[in-house]
Amino acid sequence: MKKTNVIYQDGDHKWVAIVRDPERPGHLVDTNEYLVTHGGAGILLDPGGAEVFPAVFSALSSEFDPTALSAVFASHQDPDICSSLALWLEFNPGMRCYVSWLWSSFVPHFGGTAETFACIPDEGMEISLNGLQLQAVPAHYLHSSGNFHLYDRQAKILFSGDVGAALLPADQDGLFVENFDAHIKHAEGFHRRWMGSNEAKRRWCERVAQMDIDMLCPQHGAIYRGADVHRFISWFDDLQVGIVGS
Amino acid sequence: MTNALTVAGKPQAGADLLRIVRINEEIKAVVGVAFKINIMALNAIFLAKRAGTTALGFGVLSNELRVFSQDLRTCMGSLTDLIHRCVNEVSLVLQDIRHTKLLRDAVDLSANPAGQAILQRREAGNAEHRSRLGALRRQLQRSLEDAFRLVELGGVLAKSAKIEAAYGQAFAGPLAQVSGEFDGIVEEIRNSLQALRRSAFFSDQ
Repeated sequence: MKKTNVIYQDGDHKWVAIVRDPERPGHLVDTNEYLVTHGGAGILLDPGGAEVFPAVFSALSSEFDPTALSAVFASHQDPDICSSLALWLEFNPGMRCYVSWLWSSFVPHFGGTAETFACIPDEGMEISLNGLQLQAVPAHYLHSSGNFHLYDRQAKILFSGDVGAALLPADQDGLFVENFDAHIKHAEGFHRRWMGSNEAKRRWCERVAQMDIDMLCPQHGAIYRGADVHRFISWFDDLQVGIVGS
Repeated sequence: MTNALTVAGKPQAGADLLRIVRINEEIKAVVGVAFKINIMALNAIFLAKRAGTTALGFGVLSNELRVFSQDLRTCMGSLTDLIHRCVNEVSLVLQDIRHTKLLRDAVDLSANPAGQAILQRREAGNAEHRSRLGALRRQLQRSLEDAFRLVELGGVLAKSAKIEAAYGQAFAGPLAQVSGEFDGIVEEIRNSLQALRRSAFFSDQ
């Protein structure tokens, strides 16, 4: 079963990381899901693939009533991001799914009705979670052409989807990055191959460098915190992406 | 695990989908042959006209065979429509199997109090899909029986044409050849439909 870790709490405003499933079949990429709660409402960020739904659901249930989930946020359209959508909707048919307008007619192939989808325009938007304002931050072409990250300015946390992701060896299952130099080696190949545009990367780095971020939470691998956040942004800024091979 | 959605631990819906695909392929073949009968019947009508009064009966039968081929194509069209609806329902049942398994795993792992009610709702949905598939299965079986009866009539027409060909005097040879071809083709369709009636899609429910 996946583990839940509360990475931020201020009263009923919480961020819960749902990470590392030791029983996950090896052919499925490991994913992190994040639950943000505020005032009894919850939004699940990148709810994950259908195959990991039982593990994510049971972990989330230990922290939060899944029927109180008001929305999911899908950073982009990939199956490891949101192919579990139909299963989450079983528990709350009225739940909304925030996703780039670009994918609003593609993601419904995973489930949902016309009413399920809230389209995010290219420039991003504010998403309200029971009074808490979350900001959908554009991250197009990193790696998906319609891609968003989610910023919580109150918690100073940026959910960064595939940016910052690392494909870690099985024995490196820490929640946070502890040794940046050792960790980033597991992120380099991923970013070079999955990220398609140096121009898009530069714009993203400029944008997020101006944000007040305590934690940068990727969908795969460990969370960057403190000084490692800006260390990562600098590293990413210098990296040449969109490259196949060495 | 064996339950209503599985047969001896294997998903029945998966086997059903393969069976439907085979039925559909057979129906497509019959439609092709039915079109051939239509062309043959047109030629036979012209031949009968050339033969004159000695082939009047043959001409009437050729015309009836042409009507038969059109009826058969209409009949096969409705079977194809039913097949498409069956594919749709079987796909839903297959999806139900996967979703129900994942939901059950989730509910078992979490012991969430809302879980059982959600599962029950899902099972009710599954039962509705299975029931709709069952109704379509019976409807398809009935339509196949109708098609079979129609082909039996076609067989009678082809055999009568063979008899009429014998009265064709100078044209008896060509008329016998055409009526023999009719008989052979109708027999081919008959065998195809008989194989479809025996499909495990109808027996393994």
